[in-house]
Amino acid sequence: MINVHDKHKPLTFIEKTYLPAIVSGVLLTSRHFFVNLTRHILRAFGVKLKNMAAVTIQYPEFLRPLFPRLRTMHRLTRREDGTPRCVACMMCETVCPAKCIYIIADEKLENPQIEKMPRSFDIDLGLCVFCGYCVEACPEDAIRMDTGILEISNYTRNGMILDLETMLSLEPMSSRYVQYDRGGEVVSADYIDERHRSDA
Amino acid sequence: MTESIGIVLGKLAFVLLFVLNFGGVLTWVERKQSALMQDRIGANRAAIFGFRAIGLFHGIADAVKMFTKESFRPANAEKFIFTLAPAISVFFALIGFAVIPFGDKLLLGGTEINLQLAPLNVGVLYLFAVAGMAVYGVVLGAWASRNNYALLGGLRAAAQMISYEVALGVSIFGCIMIYQTVDLQEIVRWQGGYWGGWLPAWGVFLQPVGFILFLTVGIAETKRIPFDAPEGESEIIGYNLEYSGMGFGMFLLTDFIETVMIAAITVTLFFGGWQVPYLMPDGFHFPWGGTVELANWAVAILQVVSFTFKVIFFLWLQMTIRWTLPRFRYDQIMRLGWKYLLPISLANIVITGFLILMLK
Amino acid sequence: MVKVTIDGIEIEIPKGTTVIQAAEQAGIEIPRYCYHPGLSIVGVCRICLVEIERMPKLQVACYTPATEGMVVHTNTEQVLEARQAVMEFLLVNHPLDCPVCDQAGECWLQNFYMQHALHDSRMFENKVKKSKALQIGPNVMLDSERCILCSRCVRFCDEISKSNELGIFNRGDRAELQPYPGTELDNDYSGNTIDICPVGALTDRDFRFRTRVWYLSETESICPGCSTGCNINVHHNDQRTYKAGGSRVSRLKPRYNPDVNEWWMCDAGRYGFTHVDADSRILAPTRSIGEEQEMSWGEAASEIMTKLREVISVHGKESVGVILSPQMTNEDLFVARRFFRDGLGLKHIDFEVAPLTTGAKDDFLIKADKNPNTAGARLLGVGARQGSGMTVAEMLEAARKRKLRALYICHHDLANGFAVDVVEEALTAQDLVVFQGPNTNSTSALAHYVLPAAAFVEKTGSFTNYAERVQMIHTAVTPLGESKADWQIFRSLAKEAAISVPYFEAEDVFQALTAEVEAFSGLPYAGLAGQGIALRDGQALPESETVVA
Repeated sequence: MINVHDKHKPLTFIEKTYLPAIVSGVLLTSRHFFVNLTRHILRAFGVKLKNMAAVTIQYPEFLRPLFPRLRTMHRLTRREDGTPRCVACMMCETVCPAKCIYIIADEKLENPQIEKMPRSFDIDLGLCVFCGYCVEACPEDAIRMDTGILEISNYTRNGMILDLETMLSLEPMSSRYVQYDRGGEVVSADYIDERHRSDA
Repeated sequence: MTESIGIVLGKLAFVLLFVLNFGGVLTWVERKQSALMQDRIGANRAAIFGFRAIGLFHGIADAVKMFTKESFRPANAEKFIFTLAPAISVFFALIGFAVIPFGDKLLLGGTEINLQLAPLNVGVLYLFAVAGMAVYGVVLGAWASRNNYALLGGLRAAAQMISYEVALGVSIFGCIMIYQTVDLQEIVRWQGGYWGGWLPAWGVFLQPVGFILFLTVGIAETKRIPFDAPEGESEIIGYNLEYSGMGFGMFLLTDFIETVMIAAITVTLFFGGWQVPYLMPDGFHFPWGGTVELANWAVAILQVVSFTFKVIFFLWLQMTIRWTLPRFRYDQIMRLGWKYLLPISLANIVITGFLILMLK
Repeated sequence: MVKVTIDGIEIEIPKGTTVIQAAEQAGIEIPRYCYHPGLSIVGVCRICLVEIERMPKLQVACYTPATEGMVVHTNTEQVLEARQAVMEFLLVNHPLDCPVCDQAGECWLQNFYMQHALHDSRMFENKVKKSKALQIGPNVMLDSERCILCSRCVRFCDEISKSNELGIFNRGDRAELQPYPGTELDNDYSGNTIDICPVGALTDRDFRFRTRVWYLSETESICPGCSTGCNINVHHNDQRTYKAGGSRVSRLKPRYNPDVNEWWMCDAGRYGFTHVDADSRILAPTRSIGEEQEMSWGEAASEIMTKLREVISVHGKESVGVILSPQMTNEDLFVARRFFRDGLGLKHIDFEVAPLTTGAKDDFLIKADKNPNTAGARLLGVGARQGSGMTVAEMLEAARKRKLRALYICHHDLANGFAVDVVEEALTAQDLVVFQGPNTNSTSALAHYVLPAAAFVEKTGSFTNYAERVQMIHTAVTPLGESKADWQIFRSLAKEAAISVPYFEAEDVFQALTAEVEAFSGLPYAGLAGQGIALRDGQALPESETVVA
């Protein structure tokens, strides 16, 4: 086989022509081509196969399971009384490397234990890099990125801005995440089974 | 013996349909073959009444999109040349097929029809001439865009295509020296012989080095991976940068037509063209003695089918290479063309000539 | 003089200096909460403990006088351990309020915790609850839980403002800072308690929750509130412009200057910057004849100069009155002098408008003259008292009688110094009234042309305070809208009149000023920054010379 790992070892003449490498490469890809072609044809005739012909997940119909650590669209958590947990300390705004968080603070004198709350809390998803620093910086566990919402698009730039009410109304989407038990075994992952139904 | 206008038009229709359909289907093949090679499914979303036809409609969808999309022209572009360039590109890609023989002679109602659109006795030279013109569409399009990136892409294309044209010509001198003709129909007929009574006298066995050189150079002429530095659609952007709609579509189509073209020339020069092993004009004559009598029309059909399948094989091979190898860097392309392919081609001529003299 | 050795550094200091001051001179920083150089020493916070050789226990550096041959260590294991223990003790009942606390970012507890403590909390009991978010005065918000009882604010009220509003009540961990029953922290200097509070116990109601301190930039400046010219730092928000309704200047803080204001400033000056971002700011040159119309600087300058020349050619130079302002910098006034007096040859130039109601004054920082540059204007000779022209009052009278046909008014709201109908009658009788200033007022409403001048935080220049100390203001934020520094406005007018004003920077103006005006001769521009330079070396003007009504 061609030497690809040791770059200090000079290539032999045959290797220098690149022909063996090209041939072996073409053979490898051709093997995939013919094996997958055969599988597809067999499946088309209703033969059940152990291996799939493609690893594709047919996206809008079937969704990939999300892993619990994945960072998705932001949401703001609430206290028991329904008010935002956020105290507008602006840690997230400060740490945000994309500078996409805009907080304006307000006084909350009726509850001196809290004192401060956000009057407005905007995140410009058009700028957000989904680094998750805001979640890490938050001292109040007020912001999380576990909504499972990945499909973020809009027709206008302003539409990409999440405001306080929107983020407070979002809920975590646990069903879309892979659930583990204590031993690290996958307990529930509805979407994993579904992908076997994906088709050409 | 002259052929009537009707017959010529018929052959023209056949060749154009052959080439353009291959060109169109190749867009589908490209998607699906690459998908299979990479364990994917490939484009399968275009549907008519919910019927997906394994993604075949994507080609139609593409065509509809390209025709309906705005053909945008930059404000400072050279209007006339900018519009003309894609047409030049497609035109010179298409007319090369005029001299490709896709069968021997067909007797139809007493008329002998040469299954070749233009029986030119300088066929190979004509091919070179046409291939040499291919660079014009690209360079003119790039220049007329008035865009520096497009112009740079066009310059890369010009440098690459002109460099490889030299090797392209030289690489098949060996063949021509052996065949003693530049008429493509004659070349194919020459390959109808056998060595040792059983091995078809195809050019590939006489000129294996010439074949590899020609295929390499041919792929380079199509400007596709691994030689797609002029275009570099994913990163470096190229000569077709300012084109949209069908202008872009024509450049795209040119690439596919050129792919078919290279496959057809390779088959013609090195793989016996329309020759079917052991098929004589009157039927099969197997070297081990058996014969199968066939009518002239059946032989003609077999020849055309044989030619078609050989072309399909080389299309498949080119696609496989395109989806297997990474892109060459520009300097690597230049080095390969001038420092390796051209000297080897020249050496091939010298050795071939020497051997011909030796064996005479 | 005594010789002491601190951490191996030997220094010589006057007798009576405390160890903490000696260490400061040696360049060694000892943490402190209760110690403030401007206040008496109580030694209650215990964070400044140091080890002194031949003394059995650690000593507080703030209260121990340095004596001959004393050897002090501020970095031994014992000291560090003691500091950590003090920090832990101070934090026992301190709430974890940092996210909502305005002090976060400039909090000494945070800083010293990071520098000296870094311990994990061992506190399992519930923290003592005290009153939070208590409005103890018009400017100050108290959070007793955050208080570490350093008593700086108490001492300030006792010793500096001498108003005695605050006290510490109860004992042990229930001890709490409170105003005396029935009083509130309402004196002219109450804002200083916020500055000296090392933690977030006393916070500014004006600044409260507007932004976070780490978003602020700092620029040295001079308070334009009165003729004292307190040295200040302008804290402006350049990074997060959407905060606090888009106001660019967030707060003013006093800057130490032993010769002017020491560490302090009055509340009137501290909160007197709102006009900088007010809606009344003039944003573009405006023509107010008939319909109000914004114009470009070029248009405005040529139109005003055409009309001014017309008035001069018809009615003579005597028919134009110029009212400059002691709110303008020395540079502005100098260019005005060069343009109006030397260039156009006008005679009636004055700047003094005595207010109808006398400004408040005390014997500490607050002066009755509410202008920062009266002394400078006088030294530049741009007043009627220094020349032979009419005073402002005479000008208005002459204007009413149409002896004056054009008035050029800078900054002043004449209604502050004269009856409204007098001003109105005088101004409406004019062929041309030009107002130039940062904000609209009742005078600008009567003007034919209104020109936007930069506010004090938007320009560089110098003020001369009541004691004739020349001090620098620096550009903190870019001028709002089209506004320009006053001297730049005069320059563009002078250009139309073909009068040479060859200055490009405030420094060029100042160099010309020192060359031309005797009182300022020889002042080095570079020396003005920081503490400023006194023209007469600290000699105050006699009271009779300062302007009061």
